[in-house]
Amino acid sequence: MEIEIPIKKWSGKIRAVTIGTEKNGITIGGEDTLPFHHFEGSIPNKPIIAFEVQDIYPSDWLDVVKEPYGEYLKNPIEWAKAAVVKYNADMVCLNLLSTHPDRENRSADEAAELVKNIISEIDVPLIIKGPGSSEKQNQVLNKCGEAGAGKRCIIASAVEDNYKTITAACQAYGHIVVAETPIDVNLAKQLNILISDMNFPPGRIIIDPLTGGLGYGLEYTYSVMERIRLQALGGDAMLQMPFICFVGQEVWRVKEVKVDESVEPLWGDMKKRGICWEAATAITLLLSGADILVMRHPEAINIVRKSVGRLMEK
Amino acid sequence: MSKIIASAAIRGAHKIFSRAETLLKETVKKNGESREVKFPGTAYYLPVVYALTGKKVERLCDMYEPLNQAKSLLPKIPSENLWLPYLGDALDAGIATLIAEEIIEALKFVNGNEPINGIWLGPTTDAVLREQGIKLVDGRMPGFAACVGAPKTKEEAVKLTRDLQERNILVFMSSHTNGVSMAEQLAEEGIEMNWDTFLVPYGKDTSATVHALGFAVRAAMTFGGITPNGLKEAREILLYNKNRVHAFVLALGEVDDEKYATAAGAINFGFPVIADTDIPQILPTGICTYEHVVSNIPYNEMPSKAIEVRGLKIKITKIPIPVRCGPAFEGERVRKENLAVEFGGKYTTSFEYLISKGLDEVEDGKIEVVGPEIDDVEEKARLPLAIIIEIAGRKMQKDFESILERHIHTFLSQAMGVMHLGQRDINWIRIGKEAKNAGLKFKHLGILLRAKLLSEFPAIVDKVQVTLYTNEEDVKRLYPAAKSAYEERDKRMGELTDESVDTFYSCQLCQSYAPNHVCVITPERLGLCGAYNWIDGKAAYEISPHGANQPIKKGECLDSVKGKWKGVNDFVYERSNNTLPSFSAYSMMEDPMTSCGCFECIAGVLPGTKGIMIVDREYQEMTPSGMTFFNLAEFVGGGQQTPGFIGIGILYIVSKKFISADGGLKRVVWMTKNIKERLKDKLAERAKEIGEEDLLDKIADESVTTELEPLIEFLNNVNHPALKMEELF
Repeated sequence: MEIEIPIKKWSGKIRAVTIGTEKNGITIGGEDTLPFHHFEGSIPNKPIIAFEVQDIYPSDWLDVVKEPYGEYLKNPIEWAKAAVVKYNADMVCLNLLSTHPDRENRSADEAAELVKNIISEIDVPLIIKGPGSSEKQNQVLNKCGEAGAGKRCIIASAVEDNYKTITAACQAYGHIVVAETPIDVNLAKQLNILISDMNFPPGRIIIDPLTGGLGYGLEYTYSVMERIRLQALGGDAMLQMPFICFVGQEVWRVKEVKVDESVEPLWGDMKKRGICWEAATAITLLLSGADILVMRHPEAINIVRKSVGRLMEK
Repeated sequence: MSKIIASAAIRGAHKIFSRAETLLKETVKKNGESREVKFPGTAYYLPVVYALTGKKVERLCDMYEPLNQAKSLLPKIPSENLWLPYLGDALDAGIATLIAEEIIEALKFVNGNEPINGIWLGPTTDAVLREQGIKLVDGRMPGFAACVGAPKTKEEAVKLTRDLQERNILVFMSSHTNGVSMAEQLAEEGIEMNWDTFLVPYGKDTSATVHALGFAVRAAMTFGGITPNGLKEAREILLYNKNRVHAFVLALGEVDDEKYATAAGAINFGFPVIADTDIPQILPTGICTYEHVVSNIPYNEMPSKAIEVRGLKIKITKIPIPVRCGPAFEGERVRKENLAVEFGGKYTTSFEYLISKGLDEVEDGKIEVVGPEIDDVEEKARLPLAIIIEIAGRKMQKDFESILERHIHTFLSQAMGVMHLGQRDINWIRIGKEAKNAGLKFKHLGILLRAKLLSEFPAIVDKVQVTLYTNEEDVKRLYPAAKSAYEERDKRMGELTDESVDTFYSCQLCQSYAPNHVCVITPERLGLCGAYNWIDGKAAYEISPHGANQPIKKGECLDSVKGKWKGVNDFVYERSNNTLPSFSAYSMMEDPMTSCGCFECIAGVLPGTKGIMIVDREYQEMTPSGMTFFNLAEFVGGGQQTPGFIGIGILYIVSKKFISADGGLKRVVWMTKNIKERLKDKLAERAKEIGEEDLLDKIADESVTTELEPLIEFLNNVNHPALKMEELF
């Protein structure tokens, strides 16, 4: 018996966003159908994985994640280079954690200097992630935006409280802004409207819907992303932005990843477990529409890359 | 526009234009027309010329075209006997002036009379613009003041400067009055002037004022992402400035023709002029958001007048009170042993009353205590208190008074060592000993209230004045007015009907977990969570126009009994992601309103009784429907229409529109004791209104039965009115 696959024709399309310069630019988004529904529409760009690099030695990371990077971890520039050269990173996410007032409280100028150096040392597009603490976030991302002027980096993140400052910096220095809202369709849409209202082009906004790791609210993010996508493809222009998900930072702090097998023998090999946990979280987010995944472990990234390859086969 | 102003502006424009023309000719003669010309540190050429004409001036010969455009804009100088409106002409003259002025300023660089000289900083570089501009865009800097001319004395110049600095307003200075410039006055007083102090002297000529507009146009280009190309983009740049760059001109001292011409240029940007001299005023709204020219303003009132006329929003970053303040202290109690002073409770007369007034009637920042202060009374004193808050705002509405007033509780509770309970005339305020020892005065309560009102409600509150009366006499004298206002408000709420308005409000706060649910809030049906009524929705929309509460135009009435309107149906269909085509406000049987899950109560049909039951969230036992509240919630919530069941706010039960299409209150055959208790008086009143005075006694509750059979028996015994009604389904 012939089975006819029902084809849904969507009226909306996700905006294609190009990150980086003319030389190293990567384009994401641009799809006019649900994730990997090749039978239904076109998906011109594959999802991208960015390697997370911190501006300071990640003393709180598990040995399992530190091990592949070894000595490189002591110098963020070397670390970023290793990600690109050794592990073929398509993109690097520089996490400026040490600028947080509760951490080393490094100055915005120091962070900007690092951004400048990294940009000159690596030739892949860059995500610049601030420390999160609001006043410092503004200072740091502002200065770093200036340091990366014209490189079309992704600046993470603008939230409801500071979107004006961050958006203004992205506008002045030609970057792409991440609009972060706590797992909610309407809040995501509202922030996109507010940012666009500042005359900022909607084609330079990426949505961070916020996520937890597997077992920590992932399914909540999954359905919110799904709903954002459905509404976007249904024609809602203020939701037709690609997604970015910060996977690594969520996964590697959950109990199920941190407890080693001597404590919980039934949970099995700790290294394998962590890698699988990160990969499983990432692949789930891919299926709900993630366009950029920020991850940590090279082996987990490899697994996800393979999946992306297969999922992109028509 | 006033003829005097228009004529002066046009005369001034002609003068400035011919000066620019002559100067250009001479400069070309000396240097050749291919001589380079530019402002230092900018990629925007001559920014104002570039923004307004789209022309990139890089050499002297590039100046001909913009200057010609300026010439074509120059209107004829009006004759004595012409009485036409001059607005358009004066505005054109203003644009011509700015183009000519920027050319004059640029030629200075070629001719060796550098505008960057001594205290004068000359045109702004792009790097400074980006750094300062971000503050302007995100509101840390509420706007800029272009001060043209000079105040009468040095002391007044200093005072005015300090007043502007205090409000984080960026101060540009240019031009002079009879040879005296404001920047020179400040320099003589030893005041440091640079971008870090927010005091920027541009130049002593009137033409240097154009650098302030050069700053403004680049804000639009840099942060608004507009690339100049001609008239259309020029218009966008001007509109960007009108809507987002909150600048204004302070005209200090005599206003000559050239200053008028420059001011006309600024008005094109939506920047109004505030003058200290008695020049003619231009009050009607048009190009500017509010007034255009306001005159005869004393120096000490200039900043607040400018804020009012330009609609500036000042951000308060730190509230100057001696105790900590934040949500963490909200629930804190002040015990008797710890008491410094208290108001109200059952001991003294105490009330809080917030009233909206005209912009002219409220002096922002005026906080006064009438009667004894905290140090004037002995420990544990009990004082009477009247907190009178006067609010003014361009968007303030009478209806918002009660909403703002309700926040007094949260705001005062947030101060460490201050306890606030109740509202209106049943409030009870205690101040603890530690707070008193830390230096807290009654006055600080006023300072706190003002700061909070301004920062939490910037969209509707522009000015706040607070008076705290702590003497018996004044409190007694003021109380009747407050009391009648409370009554008036209640009456207005009571009179507000669905028919009397053309707009309802939606609430989609809960869509994150009930994706297709839309609350429709009408004057007679509050949100099902009980937290939002129609006025709240209206205010929330004013405060956050892209937020979860959106206006719904009712549109054509499709069914007045069931409460169906075309506009509401369309809205609900769209916002429910195309799942709910029809909605009725007054029926639980046909297309009832959906629920998220936050309902205070659930109303559901009881087969065999012709009636319904209502159960509240607190009640966890069995109901006559055979299900508990939580069983019911399972299928009422989640954004689905379940005919026969609705989630409601408790106050909806006593609304005249309570399931009015299905028979109303008379249908209720069972409700929890809790609801009966909470609505006691209101239910009795409603029962009387519908001619069923003893209805309350005929409605069963859990003390009568929680099973259907005995309930039917009970209803028959008491002869419940529902029995005589039609079947519900």
